[in-house]
Amino acid sequence: MSLERPERPESGDLVGVTEDGIDYEALEELLGDLVIGRESHVNAEAFVVRPDEVATALGTLRNEAGFDHLSCVTAQEYEDRFESIYHLRKYDEATHEVGLVVPTSKDDPRSQSGNSVFRTADWHEREAYDLVGIQYDEHPDLRRILLPETWQGHPLGLDYNPEKPQIVTLREHANPLQEDHRRGENSDTMFVNIGPHHPATHGVLHLKTTLDGEQVADVEPDIGYLHRCEEQMCQQSTYRHQIMPYPDRWDYISAGILNEWAYARAAEDMADIEVPEYAQVIRTMSAELCRIAAHLLAVGTFALDVYGDFTAIFMYSTRDREVVQNILEDLTGQRLMFNYLRLGGVAWDLPEPREEFFEKTRDFLDELPGRLEEYHDMITSNEIFQMRCVNTGVLSPEKARSYGATGPVARGSGIDYDLRRDDPYGYYDELDWDVITEDGCDNYSRVLVRMREVEESAKIIEQCVNLLEDWPEEERTIQANVPRTLKPDPDTEIYRSVEAAKGELGIYMRSDGTDKPARFKIRSPCFSNLQTLPEMSEGEYVPDLIASLGSLDIVLGEVDR
Amino acid sequence: MPVDPVVAQTTVETLGSLLGLGELSPLEDFVLSFVVAGGIVTFLLTLVAVSGIWGKRKITAAFTDRIAVNRIGPFGLLIIVADAVRLLSKELIIPEGVDRPAWDIAPFVMVASALLGFAVIPMGSGIQLADPEVGLAYVFAVASIASVGLIMAGYSSNNKYSLLGGLRAVAQNLAYEIPLILTAASVVIFAGTLQMSGIVEAQRAALVDLGGFGIKSWYAFVNPFAFLLFMAANLAEVGRNPFDIPEAPTEIVAGWQTEYSSVYFVLAYLSEFIHIFLGGAIITTIFLGGPTSPIVGLEILPGFVWFVIKILAVYLFTQWMRSAIPRVRIDQLIEIGWKGMLVLSFANLLLTAVIVGLIA
Repeated sequence: MSLERPERPESGDLVGVTEDGIDYEALEELLGDLVIGRESHVNAEAFVVRPDEVATALGTLRNEAGFDHLSCVTAQEYEDRFESIYHLRKYDEATHEVGLVVPTSKDDPRSQSGNSVFRTADWHEREAYDLVGIQYDEHPDLRRILLPETWQGHPLGLDYNPEKPQIVTLREHANPLQEDHRRGENSDTMFVNIGPHHPATHGVLHLKTTLDGEQVADVEPDIGYLHRCEEQMCQQSTYRHQIMPYPDRWDYISAGILNEWAYARAAEDMADIEVPEYAQVIRTMSAELCRIAAHLLAVGTFALDVYGDFTAIFMYSTRDREVVQNILEDLTGQRLMFNYLRLGGVAWDLPEPREEFFEKTRDFLDELPGRLEEYHDMITSNEIFQMRCVNTGVLSPEKARSYGATGPVARGSGIDYDLRRDDPYGYYDELDWDVITEDGCDNYSRVLVRMREVEESAKIIEQCVNLLEDWPEEERTIQANVPRTLKPDPDTEIYRSVEAAKGELGIYMRSDGTDKPARFKIRSPCFSNLQTLPEMSEGEYVPDLIASLGSLDIVLGEVDR
Repeated sequence: MPVDPVVAQTTVETLGSLLGLGELSPLEDFVLSFVVAGGIVTFLLTLVAVSGIWGKRKITAAFTDRIAVNRIGPFGLLIIVADAVRLLSKELIIPEGVDRPAWDIAPFVMVASALLGFAVIPMGSGIQLADPEVGLAYVFAVASIASVGLIMAGYSSNNKYSLLGGLRAVAQNLAYEIPLILTAASVVIFAGTLQMSGIVEAQRAALVDLGGFGIKSWYAFVNPFAFLLFMAANLAEVGRNPFDIPEAPTEIVAGWQTEYSSVYFVLAYLSEFIHIFLGGAIITTIFLGGPTSPIVGLEILPGFVWFVIKILAVYLFTQWMRSAIPRVRIDQLIEIGWKGMLVLSFANLLLTAVIVGLIA
């Protein structure tokens, strides 16, 4: 296993890069014998490779062609085979995408693990094993990840019987209280369960921690406590209306519209729906409002982790977030589960009287710089805070890439990756704003990135408000013509992602000709980001572990789905 | 300016003469001491009830833009009664595997150590249970017993968070007790006595005279550096931000308190607050002139009221810190303690000794 980033050729030397995108023929040539077939997904071409050559293929694509971001691993079962799809793209050029399709037989679903090339494959493949039942050879730790270890069957497999009761005696479960020294009976380390009920785990997260004194010798996140079968529920719902409410429940920290957009974008691209420009502007504005609300809460709770109990910053950020929530409530009628986006547009136009809405939004934007100044006074320029956060929880850019970190976590490690700019959607490429990066790679940088992103979001909202204000009344189309029942062509496959509050939120969908997706896979940014926690906190003190966890800003609803 | 040891009348003697008992027999002395001690403890409990249950919420709320308790009674004051009933009527959960006698004794040790300290504090208006010549040394000695309680609680709870919290508490107390005592010693050099009433007496004279109204020579004015040092060390001693590491709710749940519920929790909580007040009382006595008004000739309020105002001011300060200042990490805390505070407090002690030696 190598975490060393190999010498990356200059982008000009990368195989398969042409003026206007990717030359898949060159890539096929590069992979040579490894390729046994080819598929066309809506987002990119995909190569079918032999199940025992996965690591080689991934390594070749990373080293020779520059595909250094394994954004997602999707597993699914067909009537005649199992399949894992590795969705690859580049941190430097997000529109360059390629898929690796790895089929395996029904009787012995085994394929090689990609863990030796991309560390992020570790958790993604565990999830694939857990839910679909594919075995990955050479995987360091192939256990269930979302479901309990005693679960019987693989729920997203075709022959899974959900009616069968899962009767497991308490005795068969691992006893969380039992002595566990991990490093032998006579070692000096102490095993401690942080969570699932703990004040700082931001939900039901369980960190199996081994402490050496106060220092973290080893930490292993144990997730799945909030698994709600979101993927399966989406697979049982129709494209047109029934899926849209679910995304609100993934990242439920007021990032609802950002999540809805992930689904909307994937489904619209799949069914070739053109969204009216006016609706795109409203989407952009509301999504950025959500981002501000989400980031404010992230900053507030991070302060809580570093400061102690109830502190001024947490309440101040809640107070300011409340204003955003009120604006969103005016717009969508909801404060938490917005369900505002529709395929082909939005649910309804801005609230009447429009002037009042614009004024309210503008008032908020006018007050925001002063508020942020206050936060900077209390958080980022506080010396004790800096003492706690600078150079703790360090995540090097190489590791961040290998673990598939995205969003503020990647940008805090100096990776200039933001899908709003790199893979433009909505109205973002028409607007004037910047992608924020910080080079500190530590907890402090990640918080700073969030605070500065709030300013950028405010810039975007302001421009959107100006646009919306002057929009001619007769051109205010909020919804494209979309058939009542949406039935994409059979075997259409798509992986599309948007920049959600926590990073790259991607959706993979495969249609089978009906009005419901045959496979619906969510690529959660928090899931990948959380995987970096052990890298950040091993060798550091318990308080830094907590601070690092806070700076990752995970939402367990999205990690566990 | 050393002063002669004052032979002040303690409250017990005052009470005795009020009852016309004259010279007290040991039995009478014991009974009357009991009465006065009961009075002091009752006062402290009231203070904790008001400031701990109600005041703390209101103060934190004011800092964090909230309203806090306002439903039960005027200004939500009856929450004190409601909370008392709630806390006392909860089930006392005794976890499996706790080390029984130690686990049960620990909260009492902590409360007792804090309460014992008040025995020698001059509270003004003649209230002082005892006034031994080694008053200051006695206060620090008994207050330190709390560390024993902390480690008992941490070790006997059979909980890893409690253990971590207990160890942190002891490490912190060790690191900060020394600067605390050394800084207090610099006051002793000024006052020339360990007796509490003597230290108060030494601060009575005017430092600066402003046309009849003199600002008194409180040691906080005479040696502000020592005062700041003591305040900071005291924050660590009582475990409030930036030094609330023994509890650190976001890190180790509640530290050594984790397994305590119901009455034991009340006791643990009580000991925390009484320790804050004891810290306030020590600061009041050795730096803020005890139960006296800050200006000569302005003795309008009775001494006891001044005393309460001053300890509440120190309490307010700890709550302010709690709302506004981040927590340092355990290694940083120890570093600040041993490398910073200790050196500074030695420097302060030396300088004070030299200055006092030169002047006197």
